Amino acid sequence: MASSDPVAGQSLAALAKYGFTELDQALTGLNQLVALIGDSGRSALAHFSLAANPDYALAQLVRLAELDTSAIKKLLRNSDAAMRLIRLIGASEALAEFIARNPDCLSLFDKPRNLIVSYQEMTESFQAEVMTSKATFVASEQVAKLRNTYRRILLEIAIFDLNQKNQVQGLPVIAKALADLAAVSLDQALRIARAELLTQEFGKFEPEEIQATELAVIGMGKGGAGELNYISDVDVIFVAESTNPNLANERMLEIATKLATRLMRAIDSNNSESPLWQVDANLRPEGKSGALVRTLDSHVAYYERWAENWEFQALIKATPIAGNIQLGERYRNALSELVWGSSRRENFVESVQKMRERVTENIPAEELDWQIKLGVGGLRDVEFTVQLLQLVHGREDESVRAADTVTAIAQLAKAGYIGRAEASLFSENYKFLRLLEHRIQLMHLRRTHLMPHKVELQRVVARSVNPDWNAEKLLSEWNEIKLSVRSLHQRLFYRPLLVAVAKAESGFTLSDDQVMDRLAAVGFIDPRGASQHIQALTSGLTRRAQIQRQLLPVLLEWFAKGTDPDSALLSFRRLSENLGESHWYLRMLRDSSGAAERLANALSTSKLVTELFELIPEGAAWLDEPDLLKPKTLEELSNESDSLASRHKDAIAMAKALHHIRRRETLRMALGAVVGETKLSEIEIGLTDLAQWYLSSLADAVITSRQYNDEPLSSLIDFGLVAMGRFGGSELGFGSDADLMALYEPIGSTSVAIAQKCAELIIAEVRKLATDPLLEFEIDMDLRPEGKNGPVARSLESYRAYYSRWSDIWENQALLRARFFYGSAELSAGFGELVDQYRYPKSIEQASIIEIRRIKARMETERLPQGADFNRHLKLGRGSLSDIEWVVQLLQLKHGNDLPAIRTSKTLEALDSLVENGLVQAHDARVLKESWVFCSRIRSASVLWSNRRSDVLPTDRRQLEGIARILEYPRGSATTLEEEYLSRTRRARLVFEKLFYA
Amino acid sequence: MDKQRDFVLRTIEERNVKFVRLWFTDVAGTLKSVAIAPAEIEGAFAEGIGFDGSAIEGLARSYEADMLAHPDPTTFQILPWRGEIDPTARMFCDISTPDGVPASADPRNVLRRALAKAANMGFTFYTHPEIEFYLLKSSQIGPEGPIPVDKAGYFDNVPGGTAHDFRRRAVNMLEQLGISVEFSHHEGGPGQNEIDLRYADALTTADNIMTFRTVIKEVAIEQGVYATFMPKPFTEHPGSGMHTHMSLFEGDTNAFFDASGQYQLSKTAKQFIAGLLRHAPEITAVTNQYVNSYKRLWGGGEAPSFVCWGHNNRSALIRVPLYKPGKSQSSRIEYRAIDSAANPYLSYALILAAGLKGIEEGYELPAETEDNVWDLSDAERRAMGIQPLPQSLEHAIRMLEESELAAETLGEQVFSYVLANKRREWSDYRAQVTPYELKTNLETL
Repeated sequence: MASSDPVAGQSLAALAKYGFTELDQALTGLNQLVALIGDSGRSALAHFSLAANPDYALAQLVRLAELDTSAIKKLLRNSDAAMRLIRLIGASEALAEFIARNPDCLSLFDKPRNLIVSYQEMTESFQAEVMTSKATFVASEQVAKLRNTYRRILLEIAIFDLNQKNQVQGLPVIAKALADLAAVSLDQALRIARAELLTQEFGKFEPEEIQATELAVIGMGKGGAGELNYISDVDVIFVAESTNPNLANERMLEIATKLATRLMRAIDSNNSESPLWQVDANLRPEGKSGALVRTLDSHVAYYERWAENWEFQALIKATPIAGNIQLGERYRNALSELVWGSSRRENFVESVQKMRERVTENIPAEELDWQIKLGVGGLRDVEFTVQLLQLVHGREDESVRAADTVTAIAQLAKAGYIGRAEASLFSENYKFLRLLEHRIQLMHLRRTHLMPHKVELQRVVARSVNPDWNAEKLLSEWNEIKLSVRSLHQRLFYRPLLVAVAKAESGFTLSDDQVMDRLAAVGFIDPRGASQHIQALTSGLTRRAQIQRQLLPVLLEWFAKGTDPDSALLSFRRLSENLGESHWYLRMLRDSSGAAERLANALSTSKLVTELFELIPEGAAWLDEPDLLKPKTLEELSNESDSLASRHKDAIAMAKALHHIRRRETLRMALGAVVGETKLSEIEIGLTDLAQWYLSSLADAVITSRQYNDEPLSSLIDFGLVAMGRFGGSELGFGSDADLMALYEPIGSTSVAIAQKCAELIIAEVRKLATDPLLEFEIDMDLRPEGKNGPVARSLESYRAYYSRWSDIWENQALLRARFFYGSAELSAGFGELVDQYRYPKSIEQASIIEIRRIKARMETERLPQGADFNRHLKLGRGSLSDIEWVVQLLQLKHGNDLPAIRTSKTLEALDSLVENGLVQAHDARVLKESWVFCSRIRSASVLWSNRRSDVLPTDRRQLEGIARILEYPRGSATTLEEEYLSRTRRARLVFEKLFYA
Repeated sequence: MDKQRDFVLRTIEERNVKFVRLWFTDVAGTLKSVAIAPAEIEGAFAEGIGFDGSAIEGLARSYEADMLAHPDPTTFQILPWRGEIDPTARMFCDISTPDGVPASADPRNVLRRALAKAANMGFTFYTHPEIEFYLLKSSQIGPEGPIPVDKAGYFDNVPGGTAHDFRRRAVNMLEQLGISVEFSHHEGGPGQNEIDLRYADALTTADNIMTFRTVIKEVAIEQGVYATFMPKPFTEHPGSGMHTHMSLFEGDTNAFFDASGQYQLSKTAKQFIAGLLRHAPEITAVTNQYVNSYKRLWGGGEAPSFVCWGHNNRSALIRVPLYKPGKSQSSRIEYRAIDSAANPYLSYALILAAGLKGIEEGYELPAETEDNVWDLSDAERRAMGIQPLPQSLEHAIRMLEESELAAETLGEQVFSYVLANKRREWSDYRAQVTPYELKTNLETL
C-alpha cells in the first residue's frame, strides 16, 4: 500500500497552506503516519489546517499512531473524529500528553456531542471510578483515580469547546462546565476524606461521630459564580455542623477540620497523578490566621461583628458547591442579607473605593501589556464595573444580583441600568478576553493570565481562536478589545449620567433617582447640584461642549477619587467658562494623557489651587508638562523681574506685575505639591526664594523710583533686609508670614536722622506695595529690637549700641535665624560680624539659660490663643515646631561659639550637625525631626486644602480628611492622621523635656 | 443586624415598652444614660441620636460637642427593676462623630479596636470577672467608718441575713437581663459579697459589668441598703477586686490549651502571660484607677502587689487555675490586680493588648513563683527579679506616661485625657490632711 512517495503531489508550498511551519519535518511526519496507518493518514491532512499548532499536532499524531496503531487507524477513518482529535492535540500539549498516557481516551473522539457533559454525568463517571468502600480503600489510589477521572472529563469539555461553531458565544457554557467539574471533584474529594478518616483515625473518632459531622463547601470567586477557567485556584470556605446533639461542636469541628484538610490534600497534594489545582481557603473569616472550618453561627457572628466591608463583596459570589448543600444554602441565605442589607448603606462609598483600590493593585510593569486579566482593559476592569453597578443598583433591585458576569450584564441591561448596545458589546468583549485566557491556559494547562511573548506561541493562540488568524491579527484584535473595555467603565457608569442629565438622546435613559444613586455612590454629596453642573458643561453645540461631553465621564471618575468631588466639579465648570474656547486648553484636555487627570486631582483636593486658578486659569497648561510644575529658581525669577523693571519705571505698575508673578508662582508650587511632583523641602526653598525675590524686587522698585527731598534714595542710604524666623531658616510654607528686620548705613554726608527717615519710607512703601488683596502677603517685623515699640529700621551703629546694652536673651536667640538677603556686601558683612558675637556668645550665663527656659514655659500658656488645645497647636503646642526649634536654638547659643559647624539658620540642618557633634543623640534627633517635618507638612497641607492659614490641627473630620489626602494618605484617614500627629508630638515632647530642661 | 433591629422594634411593640434608655460609658467608667421614646428608636438605629458630647467627661472637647449615639440592637434588654408599669428597656451604644467615624474617646470603641486587632491575629478574647463589693447599711459614714450590713466572713451562710436575700434577688435580676451568673457567695470582709459572671467575649463582659453595677445599686436601694464598689472601703478588711479569668479562642478552640504543656498551657498562653506581666505596671493606672485602689493593692492579705505568676498561688498577680481533665475549653488565666471600680472597657483593652504584645514579640515567660510573695523579703524578691506594681496612683501615672503600648491601645486622645484626669486626682489628694495624720501628729507635734 505504501508507496515510496506517499504524499506525492503535496508540495512543500501546499503543506504551508495547511498551516505547517516546519515543512521538511511535516513531510517526514506525514510519511511516517501514512507508513503506519495507510491512506487515512493522507486524508487527515486537511484537518491540520484547523489545528492551532499543526506541527505539534502532527508529531503527536504520529506518536499516538505508534502507541496504538489500530485505534488511530480506526479513528482516522471517521473524518469528523479525526478532525476532533487533531484540533484537540493541536490546541493542548498537556491534554495530548494525557492521551498518550491514557490511549483508551481515544474513544472519546468517536462521537460528536450535542450537549456538554452534565453535572449528573460527571458525578456518575466519578462514582464509577472512585471507590470508598471500606474493605479495599487506599486513599492515595483513590486520589489518583479522582484526578484521572477529572482529567478525562476535562478532555471531554475541551473537545466540545474546540468544536463549537462559535467559541466566543459558547464560552459561558464551557466556564459553567468547568465550574461544575471543580464542584463535583470537591464533592468526591470529600467522599475520599471521609473514608480516609474512618480508616486512618480509627479509634480516635467514632464512625458515628464522623457521620454526624456535616461539611459544606462554599465556592467563592469564579468557582462560586459558575464561571471558572481551565485552570485556576478554586476559592472555598468551609462550614460545618453537628447533626447529633451528643457530638459537641468542639469535637465536631476537630473532625470537620480534618475532613477539610484531607479534602484539600486530595485535590492539591503530590501523588502519582499530579495535583489538579490549589484549593484556596484564604477568603475565610480572619484569613490565613482564622480557623479553617467554622460553624454557621460562628461565620454569621464574624460577619456581623468583625468583617471589613470588602469582605462582603467577596460574598456576592458565594455559592454552595459541594458537601452538604442544604447547610451551604443556609449559609448563603444567612449572609446574603448582610451583603445586600440596608444596614451597610452608610459605608457604601468607602466600599466602592476599596474595591477600586483592589482593581488597581500593583502588577509588575513588564507584565502590564501582556496581562489579559489585570492589565488595562483587562478582565478585572469588566468585573469591577459589573460589581459596582450591581452594588449600586442591586441593593434595591433583586433582579440584578446574579453571581456570574455574563448573566449579570444581561440582567443590568434588562433592568435598564445600562444600554442594550453597550451591554452586548461589553458581554462580547468579556467573552473574547475569557476565550483568550482559556486558549492560553489550555496549551499547557498552566494557570496564567499572560499573553505569551513569543510570536510562534502567539500564532498558536491566534489559530486556536480562529484558524485563519495569525499573531499579528490576534494582537490587533486584542488591542481593540482592550481599548473598548477601557472606555466601557466610563461608558457604562458615567456616560449614562450625562445622557440622562442632558435628556438629549432618545432610547436608553436612567431615571433621575438612578442618576442620583450613582453620583452619590461615588461620593458626590450634592448629586443634584452635580447634575446641574454636568448639564451646564455638556449642553450646547460649541466645540468646548463637544469635547467636554467626551471627557466628562472620565473626569467625573477622577473627581470622585478626590476629597471634595462637588467643589471640584464646580471649579472645573468655572475654569472651563474662564478659559472659554482657548485652543490649547481644549487640546490639552483632549490629547495629553496625564494633564486632565492631574487637573481633576488638583481641583478635587485643594482650595488654594482652585482659587488661584480663577486668577490664573492659564496655569492649567503646566499640567501638560511636569517639569513646569517645579518651583522657579531665584535666578529665573530675577531675570523676569529685571526685564519688567526695564519696562516699568513706576513702582505701582511694577508692583502689579510682581503680584501677578507671585500668584502665578504660588499656583505653580501649590499644583506641584498637590499632584505630588514637588517635595516639602523643595517647596520650602521655593517659597522662601519667592518671598525673598518679591521683597527684593519691591525694595529695588521703591529705591530706584522714589526720592527724598529731591534726592534719589539710592544716593542717600545703603539699605538692607534680613530674613528672620522660618523665613531666615528657608523654611517657609504656604501662608507663612515673612519675618523681617531692616538696617541701613547713611551714604556719604547723609545725616543719621535723614537716613532713618529714608529707611522708614522704604519700609512703608514696600509694605504698601507688597499687600496683595487676592493672595495675602504678611510682613512681620516684631522680632526687631524692642519689638513693636522699636523703630522699624536701624543703622548698624544703632544695632550695635542696642545689642551691647539692652538686648534680652530672647533677642539674641532670634538672631540665630537671621539671614541677610538684600543690600550691599559691606552692609551684609558688617551685620554678620555684629550679630555673630551675640548669637554665638563666648560664654552664656546660667541666668540667661534659666531666662530662656522661663520664657518658653510662659509662652506655652500665654501665647497660646484663647481656647486653643495645647496638644493640637502646630506651632506652640506640645512637642510641635517651637519645642523643637527652641531645643536646637538653646544648644546653638551654648555651643555655637566653639563649634562653627552648628551655625546655621536651618532647623533640620542644625539638628544633623548637633548629632554629628555629639550634642544630641541620633535617636532623639530623629524623634524631633519627625515631629518637626510632620507639623510643617500639616501646616502647608492645611493651607492647600482650605486656603486658610491655621496653626491648629483641625478637629473637624472633613478638614482632617482633606489634609490627610493632600499628605497622600488613603481615603478615610482622618483619624489616622490625628493619631499620628498626637503620638509624634507626644514623643517629641518627651525628648524636648529631657533636652531643654536638662 | 437587621434581624436584631426588627426583634427590638417588635419587642418594644409587644411588651408595650414606654422608654428606652441608651447607655454608654465615659472615660472614667461611669455609666451614662439618655432616655428616648419608642417612636424615636427606628431613627436612632438608622442615624443615631445626637447629644452634646462635651457634657460627658473625656468624651469630647468643648468645641466638638456634637456626637451621635448608635444603639447596638444585640444589647437590647427590658430592665427588670422597672416592673410592669411603664416597662423600660436599655441598649448599649457606640458613639460616633457626626460623619460616622467611631468616636476615638468612646471606651467601647477602644475595646472594639483592641478586639479587632486580636481578630486580625485570629483570636477572640473571652473573659469572666469575679466582682466583689460591700453592702453597707447606708452611704453615711459612721464614727468608725462605713457600717457593713453584717459581720460574716468568707463563704459564711448568714441565716436570714440581708446579704443572702440580696444576692438571690440580684442574681435573679441579672438572669432576667440575660447575664448568666456562675457563682455567688459571701466574701472575706463583713458585708462583702462576690458574684461571678459567666464567661463571654470581652465586649459583652464589659457591657455586662456596667449593667451589673447598676443592678447591684438598684437592688440595694430596693432592699434599703447601700452597695459600694469602692476598691478599699475598710483599712482592716480586704478590698474589692475584680479578678478576671481570660482566654483566647481561635475560632471555636481554646488557644490557651495544650495537652502537653506545663499546666496544659499552650505557647500562646505563656507568651500572653509574659506580655501581661511585662506591661502590667504601665497599665495599672487604668486597671486600678483611683487613689484608693492602691490601698487595696498594698493592703496585704492576698492582694497581688508583685509582678509574678503561679499555679494556684493566691498571692501572684497572674494565677493559672487548676486544670480539670477533659475541659480543654476552660483553660484560662486569672488576672488579679484589676479592681471593681475600673473602667472595664479600657482595662480589658489594655490587658488584651499587653498579652497580644507578648505573643507578637514572642516574650519568654519568666519562671513561676511558688512562694507566697508577701512572705519574701525585699532582697529575696529582688534576687528573684520580682518587680512591684506601682505603689501609689502617682507612681502608676509615671509608668503610664511612658507607655507606648497604652498610648497606642487607648488612642492618643483617651490616653492624654486619662493622664490629665489622674494627675488632677492625685494633686487633689495630695492636698488633703488625712485623719491618719491628725491622729498620729496632732497630739505629739
